[in-house]
Amino acid sequence: MLDLASPAPHDPRMISFILRRVFQSILVLLIVGLVAFSMFTFVGDPIDNMLGQERTDADIARLRAQLGLDQPFPVQYFRFLENAVQGNFGISYRQGRPVADILLERAPATLELAFVSGFLAIFFGIVLGVFTALRRGTVAANAVMTISLIGVSLPTFLIGILLIYVFSVELDLLPSFGRGDTVNLGWWSTGFLTWSGLKALILPSITLGLYQMTLIMRLVRTEMLEVLRQDYIRFARARGLRDRAIHFRHALKNTLVPVITVTGLQLGSIIAFAIITETVFQWPGVGLLFINAIQFVDIPVMAAYLMLISVMFVAINLIVDLLYFAIDPRLRT
Amino acid sequence: MQRFLTASAMSLTLASAAGAAPFSWAGTTDPQTMDPHAVNSAPVLGFLNNVYEGLVRRGKDMAIEPALATSWEPIQSDGGGWRFTLRRGVTFHGGEDFTAEDVVFSYERAASPEADTASWFAGVTDVIAVNDYTVDILTAAPNPIFPDSIANWMIMDAGWAAANGAERPAKDAENFATLNANGTAAFQLSERQPGLKTVLTPFDGWWGEAEHNITTATFTPIQNPATAVAALLSGDVDMINPVPIQDAARLDGRDGVEVIRGIEARVIMLGMAQGADLLKYGANEGDANPFTNVKVRQAVAHAVNVPAILQTIMRGSAEPASQLVSPAMRGYVPALSARPEYDPAKARDLLRSAGYPDGFGFGLKCPNDRYLNDEAVCQAVVSMLAQVGLDAELDAMPVRNYWPELREDNFDMYLLGWSPGTFDHEHPIRFLLATPNPEKKLGSWNFGDYSNARIDTLLPLIQSEVDDSKRQALMTEAVGIYQSEQAYVPLYVQPLVWGARDNITLTQRPDNFFILRWVTVK
Repeated sequence: MLDLASPAPHDPRMISFILRRVFQSILVLLIVGLVAFSMFTFVGDPIDNMLGQERTDADIARLRAQLGLDQPFPVQYFRFLENAVQGNFGISYRQGRPVADILLERAPATLELAFVSGFLAIFFGIVLGVFTALRRGTVAANAVMTISLIGVSLPTFLIGILLIYVFSVELDLLPSFGRGDTVNLGWWSTGFLTWSGLKALILPSITLGLYQMTLIMRLVRTEMLEVLRQDYIRFARARGLRDRAIHFRHALKNTLVPVITVTGLQLGSIIAFAIITETVFQWPGVGLLFINAIQFVDIPVMAAYLMLISVMFVAINLIVDLLYFAIDPRLRT
Repeated sequence: MQRFLTASAMSLTLASAAGAAPFSWAGTTDPQTMDPHAVNSAPVLGFLNNVYEGLVRRGKDMAIEPALATSWEPIQSDGGGWRFTLRRGVTFHGGEDFTAEDVVFSYERAASPEADTASWFAGVTDVIAVNDYTVDILTAAPNPIFPDSIANWMIMDAGWAAANGAERPAKDAENFATLNANGTAAFQLSERQPGLKTVLTPFDGWWGEAEHNITTATFTPIQNPATAVAALLSGDVDMINPVPIQDAARLDGRDGVEVIRGIEARVIMLGMAQGADLLKYGANEGDANPFTNVKVRQAVAHAVNVPAILQTIMRGSAEPASQLVSPAMRGYVPALSARPEYDPAKARDLLRSAGYPDGFGFGLKCPNDRYLNDEAVCQAVVSMLAQVGLDAELDAMPVRNYWPELREDNFDMYLLGWSPGTFDHEHPIRFLLATPNPEKKLGSWNFGDYSNARIDTLLPLIQSEVDDSKRQALMTEAVGIYQSEQAYVPLYVQPLVWGARDNITLTQRPDNFFILRWVTVK
């Protein structure tokens, strides 16, 4: 059904489609940057955070000029772009270190957390989705459905705090904050290789993945119920195939097409919305960095983070578009 | 009040020192740099006090005591100044010897335009190394509180800084001293991961006698207060600062943890526009500004029920304030410790005699993330003022937007907290009361443009009076003036609430500095 093996890479329509998409993506990035820079004026003034209480008006004016903050925002934006295309994202106002270094330092934490929670969400989402569809109406299925409501209705912040109080304060099983011990593989710091690092991943990834898991579960369940009503399933039953083969070979496979689409799009939001989870668990990723940057009005960090996130979203959308192009023959004609 | 005064200076002797142990603690903000001259903020200076030392330091009771200088005396010359005799046999963590050259270098570095600490040396004309262990610091005029004002001026090794290209702090470039440190204090920096963790280990070559029994000290920033409380309860950290006021009572009831309360050096007050001709906000926007009238300012002072604010919003943890400094500060005037009593009837009388029998409307600006429960305090103030006919329109905002608003005079009334960096009453007089004068660097936080010629005359006298009792007399006169003119309405001294596991012995200093060498783990 899915003909992923022949994406026709040399198809001229495909190339023009890709070029058009890439051009649009660059335009989107430029606009995101412009909007971001016009917003920075409203976020506040970094100068007071950078100078102590004994600063004079002359100090303020001097630093403002030194950082180029006395320029109108289009000028600041242009200067940022000029440096960014050369790979220079500036120096963090708060930490006094290159923004690129800081982002590289923080990215592994966020990506590992997103990977684990994405995996949990997909795995449990599909398993529970299938389960609730097949055992519709049973007590267990109803219980799962009810509990899953918590996943969509409780705010992430509250879920995180609840988990911390149950599993670290009362039961003393898991750490209440942070990443545990990490091992450096080149510039990448990983928590996968130590016991404390793995333990530290459990609560934050549940917190971050719960919403996505519920979403996938409900999607799988609905699609599954839909598919199970189709004629070919009935026909398969009539042929006397075993339930197992019908459910997993025929029904589930057809369910997964929309699930893959949604999951792809949700992957971006897991990384982008890790902010709250990272704040609750003091998880040292880019989301926490961004929150700190907002509080301090650390414009270089905010700008680089927003650009990074939009590059990511644009890239995911581009890939999803290309997948459609490959999957759906109608787009090609 | 006595209860809090003793509590703040007292060290909690919960346990006696046993074997050596690792220690970990958490605070809301990560010290943003390891450079002692780049940033003049409490999280940075407080943290670095464990790594770097100054010529003098503050003891458990905030008194000045010898550190890298063993003694100091005023120089009798045309201007003024102080001669410091340096401690011998001190080495930096990197093994370099400490000499007068490092003091001169640290002065040049800390007083450079790139440094945030330059204001500490405003009156200093020269720093001279007389010999390897004697330094003269010359000032334009006699400055009796100079040794008090440099307790946070930390000494860096000249050779180390030069070798690593860190001769000056930097705001817009990377600097070696941002991530690395080389001080002389009891602890050395052994690992620094900004925003993640910072590890200190005891320095074997320290000149002093170690009181602590820590083997390693790990600091982690935890910015979400609920997470910090959970980390303390679960034992993941041994100490947290601060404990949210609303959680303190709950922690009191838990086994294994202890809440340590005191009062901070920070006084929270209301400021009013006194230089503006017109009101800028509220129902009477554009009308003549009533706050130029002292009776109106006094009415505000009598209308605010400070005890009620402390009881409800601060849960009994704070102390009312009558002056711009707390009683623990040098130059506080005990005889003038009475604050205007809560008396709405009197407030209405004052408003009537000022010509506002029906009150008026105006704008109150307030930060919502700067001081403890700041927005809640402002809301309470609004409802209390409403009872005497003063209709305040509250505009609360994050501090990153707040200071620019105040600087641009966009307020009729505002909330301000002040913690004197020098722990001396002269500090708020210079910054909050002196007529603003950018050239002389006076009144830079006097947003309301309060101005009194006598205060302006008194300030230089206070700054240069060497005799303590004469100085206190000048101070008393200044306090009398700003109280009777109600230049500000001081509300309360902000509380200090820390939490620790009950096997930890520590000392809470009113400047909210956490000094590791006073920590023992049982």
